[in-house]
Amino acid sequence: MMDTMVTMRDTMITLENIIKTYQMGEMSVPILKGIDLSIAQGEYVAIMGVSGSGKSTLMNIIGCLDRPTSGHYYLENRDLTTLDKDELAYIRNQRIGFVFQQFNLLPRATALENVMLPMVYAGIPKADRRTRATEALQQVGLGDRLNNRPNQLSGGQQQRVAIARSLVNHPALLLADEPTGALDTQTSQEVMHLFHDLNEQGITVVLITHEPDVAAQAKRTIQVQDGLVVG
Amino acid sequence: MISWIRRSHSTPKPSEPNPSKPKPPERRPHTVSLIEISEMALEALWSNKLRSGLTMLGVIIGIGSVISISSIGQGIQKSSEESIRSLGTDVLQVVAGSAQNGGVSQGQGSLTTLTWEDAQAIAQEAPNAKVVSAYLQRNAQVVYGDENTSTTVYGTDLNYSSARNTFPASGRYFNAEELSSAAAVAVIAPTVQKNLFPTEVNPIGQKIRVQGEVYEVIGVMEVKGAQGPQDRDDAVYLPLTSMSARLIGNNSLMGVSVNGIYIKGENEQQLETIKFQVENILRLRHNIATPADDDFRIINQADILATLNTILGLLTVMIVAVAGISLVVGGIGIANIMLVSVVERTREIGVRKALGATDRAILSQFLAESIIISVIGGTIGIATGIGITFVAATAFQFTYTLSGSAILIGFGLSSSVGLLAGVIPAQNAAKLDPIIALRGD
Repeated sequence: MMDTMVTMRDTMITLENIIKTYQMGEMSVPILKGIDLSIAQGEYVAIMGVSGSGKSTLMNIIGCLDRPTSGHYYLENRDLTTLDKDELAYIRNQRIGFVFQQFNLLPRATALENVMLPMVYAGIPKADRRTRATEALQQVGLGDRLNNRPNQLSGGQQQRVAIARSLVNHPALLLADEPTGALDTQTSQEVMHLFHDLNEQGITVVLITHEPDVAAQAKRTIQVQDGLVVG
Repeated sequence: MISWIRRSHSTPKPSEPNPSKPKPPERRPHTVSLIEISEMALEALWSNKLRSGLTMLGVIIGIGSVISISSIGQGIQKSSEESIRSLGTDVLQVVAGSAQNGGVSQGQGSLTTLTWEDAQAIAQEAPNAKVVSAYLQRNAQVVYGDENTSTTVYGTDLNYSSARNTFPASGRYFNAEELSSAAAVAVIAPTVQKNLFPTEVNPIGQKIRVQGEVYEVIGVMEVKGAQGPQDRDDAVYLPLTSMSARLIGNNSLMGVSVNGIYIKGENEQQLETIKFQVENILRLRHNIATPADDDFRIINQADILATLNTILGLLTVMIVAVAGISLVVGGIGIANIMLVSVVERTREIGVRKALGATDRAILSQFLAESIIISVIGGTIGIATGIGITFVAATAFQFTYTLSGSAILIGFGLSSSVGLLAGVIPAQNAAKLDPIIALRGD
């Protein structure tokens, strides 16, 4: 049934026999041993696996931060394996929104400046940046925290700034790496609720986690074990 | 809650399959403008004011010392050249020589071996000597009424004016008759007039006393201005005969003793010839067999000028080179701080790359930081250097004109120091792997 859904919908991500090998001196260490994966547009997927399973490497490849040793990666039907560094930077900027466990906000910039950052690299005029960033922060409930620096915000608020930042260039794909890993249960729920809402709006959400509770909130779970998709 | 996404989001809703979705028209990343890069760099520098300031200090000191030392060197060179030229480069000066007395030099003019007769002999026998003028020189107290001043008194012959290129502005110089009769007449220079006479009194016709001897003022010289620390307008001129007889009374067996003789040639090129002629005449007259026994010295202003220029030029180059080293040290300071800063901001670099910054954007950002530190430091350094030069120019009394080339060189140096110092740190930043940069704590 899932298969029929994928073919009916437009595909967001297609991975074909993705292999990633790291060279450690003389030895080559295989991390991903041939991943085949398909994620449709509008899906809400959790990628699960214990540490060392290769899920972080998989996330880096999906996020265009790393390249596979072999295999093909199609994002929105475009083969990304042939792109150069600058083209990958452009894909990251335009099509992918990142949410990290450690929020990764720039410490000396305000919430507003942090959210404006992706638009700097997109070449959006300054005035539009401010409007769009303000709007994004209002939408995640931080309209009154525009000029606060990260150290003046709680963990949950920082993660919401990061989510606003990830959405501000209107990406097709939201990639969240252990987004609740540094948050308490209460704020975790708020953040997960936000992802749910975003998915309802049509954004494809891919969640990387090792927590079954978190994964359970996604609509599909992909298990990675020892460099392979096991279910 | 998040309805804004619906109207602006580009992804179609799942219910509307759209297999031939148009790709974004531009696949190349936007190049961040230079202004934007500079703003980012300034923000980063501003957020770490103390560190940026201290890093800048190296360049400030480097550029400041290069600018001030080269300008001071140039200024002194120009001033001393001017003052030597104003003495006249077509003039030779003969002074009673620094004869050795038991190995101790007696100093210029300390012996009384030169005489007025020597000067007259040179005027007659040296074919290329155009003007010959002998002079006596002594510091003395000059009194008018209740006022008195200490000044330099010269005893001269009639040729002094044309030999030294200085003429009376009012009244007259003494004439042949006054010279031969050792008349008690004096010509004063403007500073002496200012020191002795109230403005409403015309000094001409007034009586002054020079070392107790009464002289009538018959002329006031024109203003010649200062020459280095020496005020050339602080002088009184008397007939050589009168000064010799009334103030000094120190005549040798050979005639009227003088301190020196000025000899003017047709032009600068003749000076070597004249020198040769004068040497021979004086050696004959003084019974000197070998040049080592000379009891006179001939000073050529052109030679002094050339020597001085060489020495000052060398000295300036040497000190500027030392100052240049401090600039290099300043540059190393920038490179060091930038390297540390790149390591500290590893995570920031990772985040920027994940959000779409290209290697080039990261490279420019860090390069801009380094260049901005250096150029701001350079600008302050240029201002400091100019300030120091002006203070020195006032203190040492040389003329300094602000040179545009010094400012240009200052800017050029500081921006290239910044560029060179920033290259390696900025490349390190640009080459950072975003995965590792994001992992790094």
